[in-house]
Amino acid sequence: MKQQLFDTQIHIATGGRSFSNDGEALVLLHGSGQNHLTWVLQSRYFAYRGYPVLAPDFPGHGLSGGTPLESIEDMADWVIALLDSLDVKTACLVGHSQGCLVAIDAAARYPDRVSRLGLIAGALAIPVNDQLLTMSDKALGKAISVMTSWGHGPMAHMHDNTQPGHSFLGYGNRLMASNHADALRHDLVACNNYSSGKVAAAKITQPTLCILAASDRMTPVKFGNAMADSLVNSERVILNGAGHMLPAERPAEVNDALRHFLAS
Amino acid sequence: MSGDYKFDTLSLHAGHVPDERHGSRAVPIHQTTSYVFQNTEHAAALYNQELGGHLYTRISNPTVAVLEQRVAALEGGVAATATASGMAALSTALLVLCSQGDHIVSSSRMYGANINLLENTLTRFGITTSFIDPSDLAGIEKAIQPNTKLIFGEVIGNPGLDIMDVEAVGKIAAKAGIPLMLDCTFNTPWLLKPFELGANLIIHSLTKWIGGHGVAIGGAVVDGGNFDWGQNDKFPTIAGPHYAMDGINFYEEFGPAAFTAKFRAEGMYNFGPSLSPTNAFHILQGMETLPLRMQRHMDNTAKMLEFLSGHEAVAWVRHPNLADHPGHELAKRMMPRGAGSIIVFGLKGGRDAGRSFIESVELASHLANVGDAKTLVIHPASTTHSHISAEAMVEGGLSDDMIRLSVGLEDFDDIKADFETGFRAAAKFAKTKD
Repeated sequence: MKQQLFDTQIHIATGGRSFSNDGEALVLLHGSGQNHLTWVLQSRYFAYRGYPVLAPDFPGHGLSGGTPLESIEDMADWVIALLDSLDVKTACLVGHSQGCLVAIDAAARYPDRVSRLGLIAGALAIPVNDQLLTMSDKALGKAISVMTSWGHGPMAHMHDNTQPGHSFLGYGNRLMASNHADALRHDLVACNNYSSGKVAAAKITQPTLCILAASDRMTPVKFGNAMADSLVNSERVILNGAGHMLPAERPAEVNDALRHFLAS
Repeated sequence: MSGDYKFDTLSLHAGHVPDERHGSRAVPIHQTTSYVFQNTEHAAALYNQELGGHLYTRISNPTVAVLEQRVAALEGGVAATATASGMAALSTALLVLCSQGDHIVSSSRMYGANINLLENTLTRFGITTSFIDPSDLAGIEKAIQPNTKLIFGEVIGNPGLDIMDVEAVGKIAAKAGIPLMLDCTFNTPWLLKPFELGANLIIHSLTKWIGGHGVAIGGAVVDGGNFDWGQNDKFPTIAGPHYAMDGINFYEEFGPAAFTAKFRAEGMYNFGPSLSPTNAFHILQGMETLPLRMQRHMDNTAKMLEFLSGHEAVAWVRHPNLADHPGHELAKRMMPRGAGSIIVFGLKGGRDAGRSFIESVELASHLANVGDAKTLVIHPASTTHSHISAEAMVEGGLSDDMIRLSVGLEDFDDIKADFETGFRAAAKFAKTKD
């Protein structure tokens, strides 16, 4: 669906079902240089099980208009503004990668709006090396290729896939290339600059599920474990053999874990 | 894994990881029609594309999926869908994209069945085609109408071996907001990766070089994921509500794989052009050696071109690697490893000499296929292109005396000796004609 927010038309995937703001929304927040398509195998799955799903494209990403936001804090404020515009009172925020930083920041600053957290392949800080930052500015195609390669685990590199005929690497490259040309650079700078993760995590008391990938090369599992350790009310699931792009690589396990968490 | 696997490795491995329970190193043949659902919810989720997986072999199959993922990996696409033949791939792709009243701009220099489909069959369903010489870039652009939904062509035309400038035609298509779909059977991804030059959809007859052994018919449609189906209002059944799955919008739901999602949900579901798992297995065996075979095909083709070009029995030889071919420079630029292993030639003595040659060779097989590991010959005017009109023959650059040669992997000295036998048999017609 489309939603007007701050004079920008925002695209929000609702999993093929009409969105209802009655009750806790399930809000899926994509990572750096990604968009709502990160959640192809989550949005439909949960929407058809009765969850009011919102998988927005951040400005400058996917099918949303506008220009990319500058900081994680801005993104967190934007998510809350989006909830306001849809008259959503509370939401379970599920983030992937950069989306975890946004979810953590929002949960710490807006505890009455964020009821629960799902943190997938995340960390409390996601520093980005200078080479990749430069590449995202000067050689976007190469940056996309490197991130797609590093972002996927062994199964994806062998082009094995639960979706018949699909290539994770081919799809990953095209997905990132479909965003605003500045989207990746803004996202990586925002991640690199975000330093409030530990402070924010200390404030979070909402129930949290951390789903981590044992073969994650973007946010290695030791940082995911540190994130989970710092959240007082958290549980964790670690998926062996999976890379950073968990929602696509291991959709069944991710969905099962989230569904169990949401039902508890 | 420190980087992405290379072509030779992908040819052997892509799409398959040995399963934990059995550990089969070879790709297992899942010879089944159906798959047991875990429960009703699981079944519904598969039908609704909430989950990846298989529900019925007409739609997808684990063995076929390995083949599809291997083809997608070699082409650098987002996805591939395998079909029962190359013609099944093409016809289904066109019917997934086009509706009554739509129009196609196509190369005029193509395989006879491709032309027949566009010229005679699709017109019965209200889909019309303008045929243009693939080298006439201005003509291609001029032929595009408001209702044109794609440009179609063969990278290396069959059998005339005309070369399409993929990059230039890709730009024309992009400017018009329509996809460029190419039949890439003759080039294979080993010689050219058309997505890198701006093509959007690729059709393969897997029966040919990709299989290479001549034991199984198969085809595939590969989705480059590089066409924006929502950029205009030309594709309402992809970027608008579809009748299936509560009015699903494939473009919004699946992004770069929107075409494949629709091809699977509508093309495979409604038309049912599915590839058998056993044929997928056979084709996979061939794919494992694709790079090795292609190198040998190109080595033998180079030797054959030299042999034919200097032979007194040969009236003419055409191949894009020869300097006198009109597409020579373009072919050299696009396909530095060579422009395929099909050669066409004519003998002194014309059609009768050609017939005598084909009937006299013993090692080279006279049959209607190309891309086999074995050397093949045929007379297109009386076989593969016999169903198209005389005008279309001329338009397609075909002559009555043309012999199409698919260069195989035999020891070249043996092929050469076999051809000498054929040339001797044909010589009497050359003398008669002289």
